[in-house]
Parts: sequence; C-alpha cells; structure tokens
Amino acid sequence: MEKYDVSIIGGGSAGLAALKRLSSLGKQAVLLEGGEKIGSKNISGGILYSKKPKKGKAYNVEDIYENFLTDAPYERKITKYILNATSKDKVFSIDLTAAHNYEANFGCSVLMNKLNNWFAQQAEEAAQKQGGGIVSGVHVSAIRWEGEKTIIQTDELEEIEVKAVIAADGVNSEIAYMTGARQKFSPSQIYQGVKVVVKLPEDIMAQRFSIGPDEGAAHLFAGDVTLNHIGGGFLYTNRDTLSVGGVYHLDSLLENPAEPYEIVNALLRNPMISEFIKDEVPLRGEIDKNVAKEEQMRIRFAVTKMIKTWTELRDAYYSKNKREKIIAEGKYSSAEEMESQLSSIRDQMSTKYGIKFGTDYIEEEYSAKLVPDGKRCRMEKPYFKNILFVGDAAGRGVFVGPRIEGLNVGIDDAARAAEAVARTLDRNNFSDDHLGQYYLQSVEQSPYTHDLKSIDKDYLKIFLDAAKDVPKDIISSKYGMVIKMMSSKTLRNFAVGFANILGYEKLLPIIETVDTYVKVPTEIAERLGTSMSSSYTPTIPSIAQRIAKLKYNDDSKSHIKVLKPTSEFMKKMIVLCPTKCYFMEKEGVMIQHEGCIECGTCSEETDWKHPAGEKGINYQYG
Amino acid sequence: MDLINIAVIVKLEPDFSEGNVSYNPDGTLNRAETKNILGPHSAIAVNAAFYAKVKHGAKISIATMGPPTAESMLQQAQLMSDADELYLYSDRVFAGADTLATAEVLKSGILKMQEKMDIVFSGHRASDGETGQTGPQTAWKLGMTFLGNVIDYEIDPAKRIVRVKRFVRLQGIYDVVEEMEVPLPVFIAIDPSYKPKFNTVSQRLAYEKYQKEARVRSQNFKQYLKVLNALQIGADPKLIGIAGSPTIVYKVERIPKGKATRQAEVIDGQDKEQIRKVVARIRQSLSTMVIK
Repeated sequence: MEKYDVSIIGGGSAGLAALKRLSSLGKQAVLLEGGEKIGSKNISGGILYSKKPKKGKAYNVEDIYENFLTDAPYERKITKYILNATSKDKVFSIDLTAAHNYEANFGCSVLMNKLNNWFAQQAEEAAQKQGGGIVSGVHVSAIRWEGEKTIIQTDELEEIEVKAVIAADGVNSEIAYMTGARQKFSPSQIYQGVKVVVKLPEDIMAQRFSIGPDEGAAHLFAGDVTLNHIGGGFLYTNRDTLSVGGVYHLDSLLENPAEPYEIVNALLRNPMISEFIKDEVPLRGEIDKNVAKEEQMRIRFAVTKMIKTWTELRDAYYSKNKREKIIAEGKYSSAEEMESQLSSIRDQMSTKYGIKFGTDYIEEEYSAKLVPDGKRCRMEKPYFKNILFVGDAAGRGVFVGPRIEGLNVGIDDAARAAEAVARTLDRNNFSDDHLGQYYLQSVEQSPYTHDLKSIDKDYLKIFLDAAKDVPKDIISSKYGMVIKMMSSKTLRNFAVGFANILGYEKLLPIIETVDTYVKVPTEIAERLGTSMSSSYTPTIPSIAQRIAKLKYNDDSKSHIKVLKPTSEFMKKMIVLCPTKCYFMEKEGVMIQHEGCIECGTCSEETDWKHPAGEKGINYQYG
Repeated sequence: MDLINIAVIVKLEPDFSEGNVSYNPDGTLNRAETKNILGPHSAIAVNAAFYAKVKHGAKISIATMGPPTAESMLQQAQLMSDADELYLYSDRVFAGADTLATAEVLKSGILKMQEKMDIVFSGHRASDGETGQTGPQTAWKLGMTFLGNVIDYEIDPAKRIVRVKRFVRLQGIYDVVEEMEVPLPVFIAIDPSYKPKFNTVSQRLAYEKYQKEARVRSQNFKQYLKVLNALQIGADPKLIGIAGSPTIVYKVERIPKGKATRQAEVIDGQDKEQIRKVVARIRQSLSTMVIK
C-alpha cells in the first residue's frame, strides 16, 4: 500500500489552502478531488475577504499565496456595498460600504472555477516539491483505522495509508457523516443559495455602476423581493459578468415552499436589477419556411456565426484590456476601426438576415449550494481521531445580517489545520487527541470563531449607524420600534449593548425573523423608496433551459437514494430542489438524478453521496 | 534497473473529422484544403508510450517520416506524451514511398537513435491508407519480435520482460484475448481499444507531473526536435522512395453508396411544433420497446 503523510479531501478553496500551507511547511500532502478537474464542483456567491481583525490573527488568502494580489484571477475589488430595501417597484438604498470595509484589507468578487484553478496551480507546484500533489476525479468512499494505520479507500484508486487527514469536502461532508463526527445539518442551520451568472461587457458595467476598471460594486436586497423568506438577494460585479442570486434559510423555505429558481426570477424581475443586468442582444428573425431546407439550414448557421462574431468583437471592444491586446496583435489598428467593423457587421446582420437588436439580459450559468450558518452549526469539536474538519465541512462561516463571509473562514481554518498537522508530524505524536486538541485550540483562537460566538459590537454599531438617515416621521408605523432604534443614536448604542447582554442564542430569534428581513425593509421602501421602472421585461429562461445549459458527466447510477418517499420533507423537495429532480409517483416521491447539481438541499432525508469521481455537474463559472 | 527506452512511430494524416475534411469533385481527398493532424491510431500508440513514462519514467522518442510541416504533429504528440526526443525524417527522395519503403526509413531512423530501443510502438493502421503494414514491416526490418493487436501491456523492468494481452482469432472466433510474456525488446502495434489505466495515487501524481512537463516542453518543442535526411539516417537509396516501393496502385474506386434503409427528415430545431412531433415519435418508438 502506498503511504503519504497527509491526505486532504476536497479541492475547494479551503482544501487547496491546506495543501499549499502544508507543502510550504515541507510536508507531503495529497489532495483528492471528486470533480473531473479542480473547480468543477465549486460555487460561491461570492466575495473573498482579507481581514485585519482587532481580536487576533486571521490567515488571509495573501498569507497563503504571496502573489495573490498581483497574479490571481479574482474579479473586482468591491468598493461599494449597498443594501437595498425593496417593495414592489420601490427601492430604498443604504450605503454599507463602511460595514464592508470594517476590519478588511479588501473584499473581492470571485468566480470559483477560475480562481480555484489558479490556487491549484500554486498549491500543486509547492506540493510536488514535497512528493505530493493533486489527484482529481477521485471519490473517497471510506476511511478506516487498522491499529496505527489510517487507510483511505476510494472508488477509483488503490487504498493509501496516511498519518493525518484534512476533511475539506464541503457542506455535505461525507467524511463527517461516515465517521459520525457530526450529524447532517438541519434546515434551521443552513441557507440555500441559488445564483445565476449574467454576462455584461466590462465598460458598460463600469459606466452603469459608476466604478473604475479595478473597482466593483455589491448590492444586497431585502424586502418583498425575497418573496417573504428569511435571507436576501445579492448582485456582485465580476470582471465581465454579474453574479445575481439569493440566500435563504432552509427552514424558512420549508415553511413556505417556493421554487428556488422563482426566487431568483423575482430578483431578476425587480426593476433595479433588471436595469443592472440589461444589455443589447441580437434577436433572430424568422427564417422563410418556403425556401429549400438546405437553404434554411445555411441561413441558420450563417446567423449563428454572425451573432458569435459580433458578440466576441463587441465584448473585446468594450474591454480596455482586450481592446488593447487585439490592437497590439495587429488585428485592428485602432478602437475606431473596431467600432466601424462592429457597426458594419451589425448592418449586415439586420439587412441580410433580418436580425433585430433589442434589450434583454444574457444568463450564462445557473447554480446552487448550501451555506452553513456558522453561528448555529459550527462543529464544537472540529475533528475526529486524526481527521481535521475545515471550512464548510466544519459548518464554519460568518453570516450576520449583511456580513457574508465563508471563503476567508475556510482558508483560515485550513491554514490552522495545516499548522497543526505539520507540528504533529514533526513531533510524530499521533496519540490520543493530541492533533485534534491542538487544532481545536487554534481554531478557538481564530477571530472568526469569536464572531461565531458573539456579535461584534463595533460592527453592529457601524451597521446601525448606516441606517441613521431613516427619518423619524415613520416611527409610528407598525414596525416603529425597529425603525426607531435605527434612527436614534441613543437607542442604537443601547441596542448594541443589549445585543451583547442577550448573546446569540437569545438574539437570533429576535433579529433573524420575517419582520427584520422582509417586513421592515418593505415598510421602509414603501414609505421612503424611489419608484423605479424597467425599460424592458427580461426573458427569463425556464428551469429546463437552465439545466440544459449546464455541463454534466452523466452518471448511470444515482448518487442519491430516497429513504422516505412519503415524508412531508420529501414532498417539499419537489418544490425546493433547485433543478427539479424530484417528482411525485403513485408510490411517493421519486428522484431523477441526471440534472442534480449536488447542492444537498434534500440530504436530510436521503442517502446522499457525492457522485463517483469525475461524474456529475461540471460548472464553468462557479 | 535500467531506464526503459521507447520509440513510437507516428503518421501525419488528414483530419477526417467533420468540418476539417475536404474532397475534390471526383471524390478524391483535397489534400491542399484538408488539415493534417496526428493520426488517431498514432495517438493511441503515443498514449501507450506515455503509460510507460508514468509507470517507469521511460524515455520516449517519437519518429515520423513526412514533410517539414509534420513538425507541428510531433509537437502535438509531445504534448500528449512528454516525449524526450522528436525525430522528423524528411527528404525529397522519400517521396512516393509505399509501406515497405517507409518501413525502411523508420528502421534506419530507429537504429540511428542514441539508445537501443526496448519497445517500439506503432498504431494499428493509418486512417488514410488503412493497410496496417508499416508497423509489422518495420518490426521485421528491425528484427524485433512483433506483437500486434495489443490491448494491454505491463513492463517488468527488473526481469526485462513485457506481459501483453492481445486480440487474436482462434478457430474462427474473433477477439479471443491471448496473454503472453515476452522478453524485451519487442515491437508492439497497439489495438484501437487500448486505454491506459492509472489506478494508484503515485501513478496519478506522476501523470500530472509529466503532463505539466509536457506542456512546458511542447511549447519549446524545437529544442527536442531533430530533422534528418536520407543521408543522415544512412538509408539505402535503393530501398527508399519510389525506388524502394514495389506497390503499384492500379486503380482507386469510389466506395459505392449503400442504399439507405432509414428515412431521415430534417427538423427545424427552432420550431416548437416540430420538436413536439419528434418527442411524440420517440415516445411512440419507446412504447414498443421492451424495457427491463
């Protein structure tokens, strides 16, 4: 049997950070990833933060990858952070940039496929020097202990023996379930996040959001756009795409089931968001059915090709970098030449093929993932024997109102796990709980753990201060108390003090309610918001069209087995599965797994495993 | 334990994939318009060699006879196999060679290589000529044991033997698997069904390592490339080119079109009504099928 020092299970941003850190510390580690390649299963909202907490040290992304800021393909540094309260067509915006900047070096928008690939390159290079590396397309099926030996079994490869394991296999951690290190998260402990990636040329984005080439905007949405669920919507600017989606408490969704794609659609139809995502799109004309079939075919191909040429040139024209690159390559002599070529193609398109140009939006990718609510579900003891759990697998993420941090928490955990394993390897002491206890202590010192246990007074104050402009004349309304609290400095200070006396356990049922997430924002928007209108109605793809656009490596076997086909929970899954995998038959709820995007929403009452190596969803953006 | 030395002979072939191939009005191949690539059977031979690289760190040399433009194909082969050396045998006197004369050039080239080869791989056949003769003839000229239709192989470097599985026809039954143990050196013509399997972590790590190295090497493939002419490989002028080619192509006929037994109908994918009809037809067909 082959032997390695450490095995890391899961190649997301936490697993890769663990590999990079361990390798930098001179240890041999092998990372096993289930997807066909790194990044194919990873989804994030997402913003990746780098923090400088007052309460202690956090390992940041640039501590792991020294060249992150200069070389990494992150999208944009977020420089504007806005919370929008909505009520039908009315929107009231509150600037939360100060809260976003709180204790932060930076926060940048990211797309996980591209970014994790870059992380993987860096980590693999370091790992190879120590005799380790990354093996993808491998699904770990079991871990067992034989005396001193820890043996990892996979569906694809021969068993290996290791001294320690870092489990970074995500929110649906099979390693946690198979070892019994933790139970599956209950609906009250997780959020379901659903996201679409929308294409938008760079310069148009910069103008629309009033941001410079290296700046970015983030918009959060509360109020009636949530369709009365606890949680909120988001819109982040990437380089030349937008991430639009919603994150909602699963128990809130179970109580009042709504199709996840309908919740996203509600966001896309909101006039503010519709206007953010809109772009000029070519619309195919009808092909004359009377001409010969071959000619119809030729026209269809020609139209497809022209649209492709026009879109590519237009994307390049509206991107400073791409424009300069193309001119440097000599394909065009100037931007003016590109512009005239664009308009000439456009003329041809409309005169020759009857293509019209209209306003709509272009959706590139639909995705979903569960997000562990760290303040409710973090593992008290994030280890089992010599397995250390990090990031989502350990249920760790900081989600407090508009503070949304998961990636940085996972990276911090991973660095701590790597340090703990390296130390234990040096001392060669794998007895008892030596490794686990050391890791636990380290994690307890993490500023993020602190934030998971109690609310950060200063943060809360900044948040409440941001809302101070809400005028007092509406305090007679039904939710007057909350609004009054937000508009009075004394009350704000009182609220902050009060929050810490109550502590999370008592506080959360008060602040995370339909009132605070939906009704108060709706009320504020209703009374103070500006009416917005959209110049067009977005053509929203059906869920079938969205699934058809995704890439899968088809698995003939289902990785999910329905255990309770007649339970109420499973009946709700017919509605709550983001890709409509469940349907009702006579005998009860059945699954058709082919469209599954492995989010885990249904995992509580199913036998849920990740698909075998390389199988299943293959995200292009993530 | 000595390093395993492997040579692969490959062929530049027209890209027969849709959209790349072009025909003259008389039905013959329009060579000027058709892109040339590493032949699909050659690619399998290159993959087979890469397996030995991953498992045993074998040294790989890839050789071809062809025009100067064939160097981009060697680059492609290097990207697939992390080859250590690339050889292009290019000379006007090679023109008009049949399989025998080609085998003579390849033999001379292989004998000129620095090391004595433990295994020489060839593809099963070419996709343009389809004779399947060049491999066996090269083996015969080299005086090496020839193993054809090999679907799997393992090298034992310590014992210097190779264990192979190959398809043979036995008493009229096709695809009987024969297992053999053969002392090195051998010449292997790899079967199209060959698929390398990497089933240990160390092999998968080595695979990644060599793939990465291959990407870097193939970027600078000219550093690894030697272009040699007839004189440089010391080929006998009587045995190469037209002079060395006994084959006479008497006539090439178009393959007659078979009568179509199925009826195809062109459907407009944009038209929902037509798509509905297709679905109804599929349903209808499915309902008559016995599904277990």
